[in-house]
Amino acid sequence: MNGGPTSADPDFFGHLKVLIVEDSVEMRNLLTALLETMGVADIVQTRDGKSGLAAFARHKPDIIITDGAMMPMDGYEMTRAIRAAGDAEGANPDVPILMISGHVGRDKVTHARDQGVTDYIAKPLSADTLYKAIVAAVSKPIHFVEKPGYRGPSPRRSLDARRS
Amino acid sequence: MPERRTPSRLGGQDRNGDDTPPDVRFIRVPSIAERKLGREYVAPMRLDPRVLDQMQETIRGLETKYAEALKSQVSMLQILVEPACKGDTEARGRLYSLAHDMRGLAGTFGHPMVGRFADSLCGYLENCESEGWKDGTVIVFHVDAIRDAIENPKTDAAVTMETLDALERLIEASRRDRRKRG
Repeated sequence: MNGGPTSADPDFFGHLKVLIVEDSVEMRNLLTALLETMGVADIVQTRDGKSGLAAFARHKPDIIITDGAMMPMDGYEMTRAIRAAGDAEGANPDVPILMISGHVGRDKVTHARDQGVTDYIAKPLSADTLYKAIVAAVSKPIHFVEKPGYRGPSPRRSLDARRS
Repeated sequence: MPERRTPSRLGGQDRNGDDTPPDVRFIRVPSIAERKLGREYVAPMRLDPRVLDQMQETIRGLETKYAEALKSQVSMLQILVEPACKGDTEARGRLYSLAHDMRGLAGTFGHPMVGRFADSLCGYLENCESEGWKDGTVIVFHVDAIRDAIENPKTDAAVTMETLDALERLIEASRRDRRKRG
């Protein structure tokens, strides 16, 4: 395989900083192991939306991977706060947010989209689904809507859960 | 740097700019790859099959460890059922949390039926309110099904699907009973 600067290989992923927001320790460990295998060296973990928001401002990640249901602040509320905050102390307001959730009903996916989630991945997770979702998130140009109180992906676009 | 574009250049229903409020703007931001790699980057990014193979190997490497954790979790489920059905809110929270973890992870690590049973249990608990906890039948049968799927992973798929169907019928019957009781 001829690796290079435009292939989704460890050389590229070594440039990325990823924030994981997930309350399950097993899921955090799985995501971390998979990201490390991809070559991501800079991984920040938090266990709920509130600490995720703080980590977003502090660590300025390139991508956020978040669970949906968490306490006290869930992934939906965290996403809404990020999309409402604009340039949070230098953190990237255009950050792709990938939500991984066991809730795959249309209402949940639509709710996630409306809060500003970039992509929605159904549990159970597979390596293939995660890899493709991350490559899509980092390689596609970002088309955003900006209006008072919101800067993020269009809430009017079609979004389906990626399933393994 | 973000570049401003007119609505007509962008996808989705937003492309029709006629009804776009004046305070809404459409922005195209360079991709992360463009920002990180600059002129070296030429879209589209190529998927690297070696990376995917290594990721799948990583999951296989974690399966044994997860299988041990799963056995502990199902033992804990069995312990929690009784206090949870008797009204212990902490036990209810822990039971749901364990089932939620199984729903998310068991399928990834080669226990798809455990994940399906856990998904069914979570769906029930998310909608049953307090009365559903008090009638512990549905919960007990789900926990038994999860335990059985772990202990007998080579059970015929048709049999496990029948079990899943039976659990769904049990949930529906439980809902009907609660509706009748008002």
